[in-house]
Amino acid sequence: MRFKTDLKNIRTFSKLVAALNSLEKIAWVRLDDDTVRFTVIPDTGSQVWASLSVDLIFDNYHLQSNEANNTINLELPLGPLQRALRSAQGSNQASLRLTKRDGIPMLSMTIHAMTKEGAQEARGAFGAGGMRGHNGNNDLDPFGDDLFHQESLELTMKREREKVITQDIPVRVLHPDTVETIMQPKVREPDVNIQLPPLLQLKAISDRFTKLALTTSAGRGGSGPGGGNAQNPKLEISANMHGSLRLRLVAEALDITSVWDGLENPDLDPSQLAMPLEEHPSTRFKEEGPEKWATVRVDGKDWSKVLSVGRLEGRVIASFSDDHALILYVYIPNYDDSSTEDVVTYYVSSYSA
Amino acid sequence: MVVNFTLNEEGISVFHDALACMFKFSDEVCLETKKDKLTLTTLNLSKSAYICFTFAASRFFSRYSFEGNAQYRDRFFCQLHIRSLLSVFRPRQGGESGRDNRETTIERCDVAIDDGPGRKSRLVARINCRNGITAEHSLSFEPMAPTHAKFDKTEAVNHWTISSRTLRQLMDHFGPGIDLLDINTDDETRVVNFTCFTEKVQKRGANANEAVLKKPLHTNIAVEMDEFDDVEVEDKLHIIISVKDFRAILQHAQIISGELAISYSNPGRPMKLSYNSEGILCEFILMTIGQDDAISQKHKNPRANSVAARGARPELDSGSRRGSSVVNATRNELSQAQEIPRVPQLQQKTALRPRQPQFEIRPQPIPPQSVAPPPPATARSDSLFVPQGDDDHQWEPINPDQEDDEGGNDRLEWNSNNEPVWRIHIVHPNISLTLVTRTRPSFASAAI
Repeated sequence: MRFKTDLKNIRTFSKLVAALNSLEKIAWVRLDDDTVRFTVIPDTGSQVWASLSVDLIFDNYHLQSNEANNTINLELPLGPLQRALRSAQGSNQASLRLTKRDGIPMLSMTIHAMTKEGAQEARGAFGAGGMRGHNGNNDLDPFGDDLFHQESLELTMKREREKVITQDIPVRVLHPDTVETIMQPKVREPDVNIQLPPLLQLKAISDRFTKLALTTSAGRGGSGPGGGNAQNPKLEISANMHGSLRLRLVAEALDITSVWDGLENPDLDPSQLAMPLEEHPSTRFKEEGPEKWATVRVDGKDWSKVLSVGRLEGRVIASFSDDHALILYVYIPNYDDSSTEDVVTYYVSSYSA
Repeated sequence: MVVNFTLNEEGISVFHDALACMFKFSDEVCLETKKDKLTLTTLNLSKSAYICFTFAASRFFSRYSFEGNAQYRDRFFCQLHIRSLLSVFRPRQGGESGRDNRETTIERCDVAIDDGPGRKSRLVARINCRNGITAEHSLSFEPMAPTHAKFDKTEAVNHWTISSRTLRQLMDHFGPGIDLLDINTDDETRVVNFTCFTEKVQKRGANANEAVLKKPLHTNIAVEMDEFDDVEVEDKLHIIISVKDFRAILQHAQIISGELAISYSNPGRPMKLSYNSEGILCEFILMTIGQDDAISQKHKNPRANSVAARGARPELDSGSRRGSSVVNATRNELSQAQEIPRVPQLQQKTALRPRQPQFEIRPQPIPPQSVAPPPPATARSDSLFVPQGDDDHQWEPINPDQEDDEGGNDRLEWNSNNEPVWRIHIVHPNISLTLVTRTRPSFASAAI
């Protein structure tokens, strides 16, 4: 069993891992010749299936296993992976390989990097700010001293050398049979497909609603009429086939709604459908007008974790099955190659009214 | 007055940084003054780390006088709580915006120490801010002679020097959950390796295999020997120290100076780290972890040996407190319990490291028209629409119930005190504190 690859698009990879890590600490990874699949299934809350083309994040990819279809299945902790990827950001070169240390399988990341010499140089020896020696952030001042730092010519000055950083992430190699039992959920044809507004906006407002629900219910005990359990407020999310998305919170003392209009309802590809387009539920929803909403209820805290995927800066399509399910398809932008589709699928856990 | 000095603005900031660094190791500091220099020293509770900062009288003081008396002929010494000193030198900041920093910075600090037979043992620090406000702090102290750790230079044949900034930045690659740093060299590849690991027992999950995934990131950083100055190290020698100590030192080192010099001999023997800048010399002596323990930590099952391994951490040799019979002082509670009775009463109290002040007095703010404008209402935006930007923090889930990812990182230099300037905390019942305003009426200039 061999797995060795160089890393590319580390920023994207890192953001994906960060988004997954906000849902669950451990992920299953399935590697084959063309695809890397990340699966996160928390005990409670939303599931994620991320399917990426190998070319998106890997380069010089070598995979060899005795399993059918040449696959390797790993179980790995997302925190250490995220940490290692943070190390690799801004590096000259980074690679990943499956190895063993002290008999324990490891994903070993080797990073060739320099230290950021200039970032700190400009700071006086006894700066008045004193304590907060933080790196980076020199992009705030494009003409600051950092960019045109004048170095003194000293014969004794040491040339900065490349450092080799090795980050070993503990992994478990899984038997393919156990992995095949994990099935991607099957959901009925959606009633409404809609492109979500900028996730940062949606997240800010959702979080605000959730916080409001938490504060208004605090100290009163019991559960609000529609807001669900006091500790786990529920948000109501609806969409129609006429470009509107509605976010609503009903709690003991308040009932607030935010509505987005003018959103896109993406067209379905008839060739991909098992039924004629005219018979598709979404067509029916469209015909019934803008007052025909598909609604689901989600847990505010879980929803906030889901929306953390916004950091990937991809287009997000939400598929609503009225009073049944909500699925988010996050399309990861691939600047190298637009022919492949890299999608992260969120099965948002939803609750009936 | 035995000692009388005035710290200039730079001196105050340097003093504060030094105390903040020491506070990561200990609750108490020994202040020692001689004719031409002032020294701060401290030893941590487990006696495995000793710090000594020396300040030249000519550099950071606009006035410095030490008059010996019958009790203190050629030097004066006392022991103080670091926490109370820190609160004196804490940079005053005008709210979160920091707009009024210039106005409220401390311009100078007059310190007078009085002691002797029949006199009150007091250190009086008078803070003068740029906006004309003065605050006087009176601190009590213990007349306790400082402990100086011994370090045998001739024994420490291994040594190297490197930019503290480079080293500090490399520490960012180490993840949370690690506690030991192994420094070792390889002559063949001409590198110095910094390896972080932990000997902590991982909590066993329901499934033993799952525990494997809870192990922290194992990180190794190889730095070419060419990047070091004055490097001479025995091949394949592994020397192990606490990551937390090392981080605290580097944090301070990068403020003070470019070059960090380290020298050591063998595992289980002390290591010295030092750096200096004009007028300040910073020295640290750390006890390294013994070789036998290191081997067990590195090569055997950590679960089986962890207790024994963690226990065997020798103390530093001290000049004046030689009485300590426990050679292998352990860091667990059991041995601390043995140690505490030997410590004077006052220390015993602070040994528990009270993180909260025992009481707080919050007087009304000074009338706003006479001092700096009140801090802006709140900088933390609660508005519905947050500004767009690539601030990754915005994507963090609301109220995540996982523990903080950075928990073990110990980036300790954050001043959590975002409180308005003139709110005063009295942190210890032994300290009396007076706040004096000397501000001119605001209409003065207009009237003239």
